[in-house]
Amino acid sequence: MSDTESLADDSSTETPAAEQSTADASTTDQSAEKDIVLEVEDLQKSFGGLVATDHATFEVERGTITGLIGPNGAGKSTIFNLISGFYEADGGSVTVNGTDVTNMEPYQVADEGLIRTFQTPRKLEGMTVREAMLIGPRNQPGESFLTLFTDPDAVNEAESANLADAQRILEEFEIDHLATQPATDISGGQMKLVELARAMLAEPEILLLDEPVAGVNPTLRNTLADQIRRLNEQGTTFLLIEHDMEFVMSLADPVVVLNQGSVLMEGEPDEIQTDERVIEAYLGGGT
Amino acid sequence: MSLRNDAVDYWSDLTRAEQGVTGSIVLFAAVLLFGLVTGGLNPTYFLFLVGLAGMYALMSLGLNSQWGFSGLINFSVAAFFGIGAYGAALMTSDSSPLLGGFDPIFGLVVALSVAAVMAVLIGVPTLRLRADYLAIASLGLAEVVRLLVLNERQWTNGSGGVRGIPRFFDNWPVLSTFPEAMPGLEIVIIPGSPIELGTPFYQMVLNISLVVAFVAASYLVLRRAHRSPWGRVLRTIRSDEDLARALGKNTYSFKMQSFVLGSVIMALAGVFYAHLNLFVSPGDLNPITTFYVWVAVILGGSGSNRGALFGGVVVVTIREGTRFLNEFAWIPFDTAPLRLLLIGVLIVLIMKFRPQGLLPPQRELIWPDAIAGSETEPERHTNQRPGGDANE
Repeated sequence: MSDTESLADDSSTETPAAEQSTADASTTDQSAEKDIVLEVEDLQKSFGGLVATDHATFEVERGTITGLIGPNGAGKSTIFNLISGFYEADGGSVTVNGTDVTNMEPYQVADEGLIRTFQTPRKLEGMTVREAMLIGPRNQPGESFLTLFTDPDAVNEAESANLADAQRILEEFEIDHLATQPATDISGGQMKLVELARAMLAEPEILLLDEPVAGVNPTLRNTLADQIRRLNEQGTTFLLIEHDMEFVMSLADPVVVLNQGSVLMEGEPDEIQTDERVIEAYLGGGT
Repeated sequence: MSLRNDAVDYWSDLTRAEQGVTGSIVLFAAVLLFGLVTGGLNPTYFLFLVGLAGMYALMSLGLNSQWGFSGLINFSVAAFFGIGAYGAALMTSDSSPLLGGFDPIFGLVVALSVAAVMAVLIGVPTLRLRADYLAIASLGLAEVVRLLVLNERQWTNGSGGVRGIPRFFDNWPVLSTFPEAMPGLEIVIIPGSPIELGTPFYQMVLNISLVVAFVAASYLVLRRAHRSPWGRVLRTIRSDEDLARALGKNTYSFKMQSFVLGSVIMALAGVFYAHLNLFVSPGDLNPITTFYVWVAVILGGSGSNRGALFGGVVVVTIREGTRFLNEFAWIPFDTAPLRLLLIGVLIVLIMKFRPQGLLPPQRELIWPDAIAGSETEPERHTNQRPGGDANE
C-alpha cells in the first residue's frame, strides 16, 4: 500500500501525487462542459450588523478536491453551515447535483449526497469506535422503529453488512485495531480519521471537510492527506476548509479564496500563492 | 458440575458493577424471604409493594427512553402517569363523570392514545428548540394537567377523585373469578405467626402478573430499540445532535418518537396504578413522583434499561422501607419523614462517587446477531502493518 510508505516519507514527496490528481482534474475538464456537484450562487448571510457571507458565488466540479481558504473571519465556516443547511441563508441559492437545497434541513441536504464534518471532532460517549462508525450509513432499515419489530431479519442483515463495511473502511484507514475501543478514548487525530471514515460510510457524492488536519500531528496529517487523495481517486468530490497552507496547496485544486464573506479569487494553487490580492488579504487584514 | 462451571463462567463474565448489583439483589431477596417466612412481612402487602416497584420501574423505563436514550429532559413524568391513570379510570369506572363503564382493555388503549397525543402536542413546539425549552414546557405541562384534573369537576370529579374502577381482569373469563375460586391457605412455618393466603392475596397475584407483563413487554421493546440503529441515532443525538443532523438523520422525528414512546410507557404505569388502587385522585399527579423517577433513572445509570428497572425498585424500597424502620425500637426518633432526606443523601453520594449511575450500559450496543453475521465474513484482517506503528 502506498499509504503506509508515505507515512514514513517526508511531505515533500507528496507533490507528484498532487500533480497527478491535478492532471486527473484537467482531463475531466477538457471533456465537454463541466460537471458541477455543488453550486453556490450569490449567497448572503448576516448576523445582525455583521455581514458574514456577502454575495458569495463559486462552484465545485465533480472529481476535484476544492480548497476553501481565507483569513480568520472570512466566513468559511458560515458558508459551510449555509451549504449544509445548519444556517438559513438571507439570499442566494445552493444547488447540489442540480437540486436546489437552499434553506433545506441538514438531513435533506444529506439526502442529496452532501455530507459534512466538523472542525472539532464530535465525541460520542458510551460508544465504541465501530458503533460510532455505524451511524454513518444513510437510510438503514433499522432506523425505523416499526421495522425493528416487523422485519428484524432485514434489520440484522443490513446491520451485519454495515458492520462489515465499517470494518473494511477502518482497515483501509488502518485504524481497525481501534474498532472496539471506546470512541472517546482515542487521540484527536484518530478521531479525525474516524470522522472521515464514518462520513465515507454515508457514501457522499461530495464531502465537506472543516479543517480536517487542525491539531493533528504531521504523521497523521500525511495519512489524512493520502486518504483524502485515495477517496478522491475513487470518485468522491471534496470541498475542504483548511488553515494549513502547505496541506491545502499540496492537496487541493482549484482553491477558492474567501475574504470578508465574498469570493476574492479562484484558481490553481500556484496562481493563488502569488496573487497580490490574496497576500494583501492575509497580511493586510480586513481593512 | 458443568452447571456450576457455567455459573462460575457467567459470574466472571459480568462486570464489577453487574456483580455488585447482582450481589445486593440476592442479599435483598434473602432479607425479604426471611421477612415473609417469619411472618414479619404480610405477603399481600409485599405483593402490593412489588406492584409499586413495577410501577416505578415502568416510569423509569419511560424516562430512560427519553433522557437516557436521547437526552430529552422531561419534567412531566407525573403528568403522563396521571393521564394514564385518569384515562383508564374515567373510561372504566362506574361512577365516572365522563364516559365510564368500558372494558379495561379499551381504557388502556384510550389512556395510551391520549398520552401519545399529549406528547406530540408538547413535542411539536419544543423539540426543535434547545433541550432546556422542553424541560420548562414539560414542567408547565405537569402543573397544567394537575390543575385541570383538580378543577374541571364536571369531567374529573375534582379533588374527590374517581372511585369504582374495576380490576383489570374483571371481564376476563377465568381470571375474573380466580381470586375467589382459589382456596384460602394458612401456612404456619413459625408457630404464632401464620402466613395467610386469602382472596386479597390472589387478587394481588393477578395485579402483579399484570405489572410484570407490562414491565417485561416494555423492557423487551426498549432493549431491542436501544441496541438498534434507531437507538444508535438517539444516542448520537444525546451526545451531539449536530453530528446526527450532518449525517442525514432527521433528528426532530427521532426525538419525537423517543418522546412519545417514553410518555406512553409512563402512561402504562398510570393505567396499572388505576387498576391496582381502584381509586385515583389529583394527589397522584403531585410533581414529587417526577423527581422520584428522575432519581431512579440517575441512580440506575442514564441510558441503561436494566439500570432504570433497578433504580425504580430501589426508590420504592427506600420510600416504603422507611416505614419499617420505626419497628426497630433502638432508633430513638420517627424515621418515616426521613425518606426524602435519605433520597437526597443518596443522590448526592451517587453524583459524588459514581456520576454515571450504578449500572450504566456495560457493553457495546449492537444486536448480537448482527455482529455474528458480520464475523462470518471471510478473513478478518488483523492489523498487520509493515514498519513502525505509532498507535500500537
